[in-house]
Amino acid sequence: MSVRLDPALKAMAIPADRPVKLAIRDLEFFYGKHRALNGISFDIPENGITAIIGPSGCGKSTLLRTMNRIYELYPDQSARGEILLDGDNLLRAGVDPEGLRARIGMVFQKPTPFNLSVYDNVAFALKHYERLSKAETQERVERSLRQAALWDEVKDKLNRSALALSGGQQQRLCIARTLAVRPEVILLDEPTSALDPVSTARIEELIVEQAREFTFVIVTHNLQQAARIAGRTAFMLDGDLIEIGDHDRIFLNPQDDRTRDYVTGRFG
Amino acid sequence: MRSIVRRRKAVNAAVLIAATAATLFALFWLVWILWTTVSQGFAALSPRLLTEMTPPPGADGGLLNAFFGSAVMIGLAVVIGTPIGILAGTYLAEYGRRSKLAETIRFVNDILLSAPSIVIGLFVYELVVRPAGHFSGYAGGLALAIILVPVVVRTSDESLRLVPNQLREAALSLGLPQWKVVTHIVYRSAATGVATGALLGIARISGETAPLLFTALNNQYWTADLASPMANVPVVIFQYAMSPYESWHALAWAGALVVTAFVLALSILVRVLLRPRTYK
Repeated sequence: MSVRLDPALKAMAIPADRPVKLAIRDLEFFYGKHRALNGISFDIPENGITAIIGPSGCGKSTLLRTMNRIYELYPDQSARGEILLDGDNLLRAGVDPEGLRARIGMVFQKPTPFNLSVYDNVAFALKHYERLSKAETQERVERSLRQAALWDEVKDKLNRSALALSGGQQQRLCIARTLAVRPEVILLDEPTSALDPVSTARIEELIVEQAREFTFVIVTHNLQQAARIAGRTAFMLDGDLIEIGDHDRIFLNPQDDRTRDYVTGRFG
Repeated sequence: MRSIVRRRKAVNAAVLIAATAATLFALFWLVWILWTTVSQGFAALSPRLLTEMTPPPGADGGLLNAFFGSAVMIGLAVVIGTPIGILAGTYLAEYGRRSKLAETIRFVNDILLSAPSIVIGLFVYELVVRPAGHFSGYAGGLALAIILVPVVVRTSDESLRLVPNQLREAALSLGLPQWKVVTHIVYRSAATGVATGALLGIARISGETAPLLFTALNNQYWTADLASPMANVPVVIFQYAMSPYESWHALAWAGALVVTAFVLALSILVRVLLRPRTYK
């Protein structure tokens, strides 16, 4: 695979001295007794886009689901180790998962609009966290929809059911309602793998645009996607972190043979 | 043709004939019952049914007090039973999930679901009627509620569990508390299923006779007082059908037809509610 260096990528580059937003330390993860992460450590810098790539079952989604503790819904899943958010271990007992998830939002592979109007999909969580007047709420909803590049398509049907939107629009709506609560980190679990190329391009553009303000962590199967948008890319295999680095390091000059084999399409 | 193929074809034909015959056999009785109810009941239908009380032998009359009593007691059962059933179903589907306690409750609930209704009638008789010293509409409504609850528990548990987990994960990932996710997001997606469960429960209790026989008993006169014995359609049907009087027989058939039509209407409503919708 040849990856052309896009000039736009310069904007995506993350300087080495950028502060650390999330520090993962010796993270292990268990499904029952099965260990899915074998003690992973790496840093995710503030703002910009960090991509996690790797073949199916390598543990990249598991890693993402640990970061906002959504795995805790399932009693047989457990994590060991530390994930430091601004230096504070979010896995320790006593951290309120609701408050944590308001700081670390997540968007999933399959669009999950709520059975509410387009407007209420965005306003619902917003109203839970902030006392806003009607006008302020409207303004925030509009702003979020604009940030998600959806406003022009839905401004005339804000009161219609969100279920009537197309798949790509639904996914942008899910991003909009996540942006609306202004989290610091947004986790994206293969957000475009169920979408057509046009919708995918739209979402990539909006993520790149918003990465100036938010820290994005994206799990993707799509190597080109990681190469296109990520300032930093981590390659995982069988529950281990193999290599992490900027675009050139991972896609042009990988140090590890397994990374090279994966990014050149020899497996995965 | 080879013999093995011929043999298979013969077996296939035999099984097909047997299965069709069994279906026709089952349908035959169902159609016969319905036909008898409709033809006998239709002949006995008259406006007096809804304007006059149950008559003494030999006189003309209607079933107004019985319809009213049934409606009131079913209403009472719905008011008591659906909130309890929906809340319990919510616990099972949203909070208990696959825990040992939840699995035990599901098992016990399934037993309650198939408990003979006469046992529930006797239970309420001992619990309410004997201490109070008399039959009452309250006791009747309570007995019907106890029959209704497991139906609603089961259906709300199941329809809540049909809501994909991704929806819960997405809502929780916005930092919303679980109670808000359940009441605002999950309920909205499961509303039709839960409503269907309540309707099926109403259909189930509207024909119940045994539990009312021990609790509300019957009343030949009009009463809106739930503390006194109350007339109701199933017990009137039972009493009038067993009697030697032609006019009572006719009223019993009319009552049976109305109850059957009511249950049929509920079933149709359920089917309409459950029409396949596009949910992505």
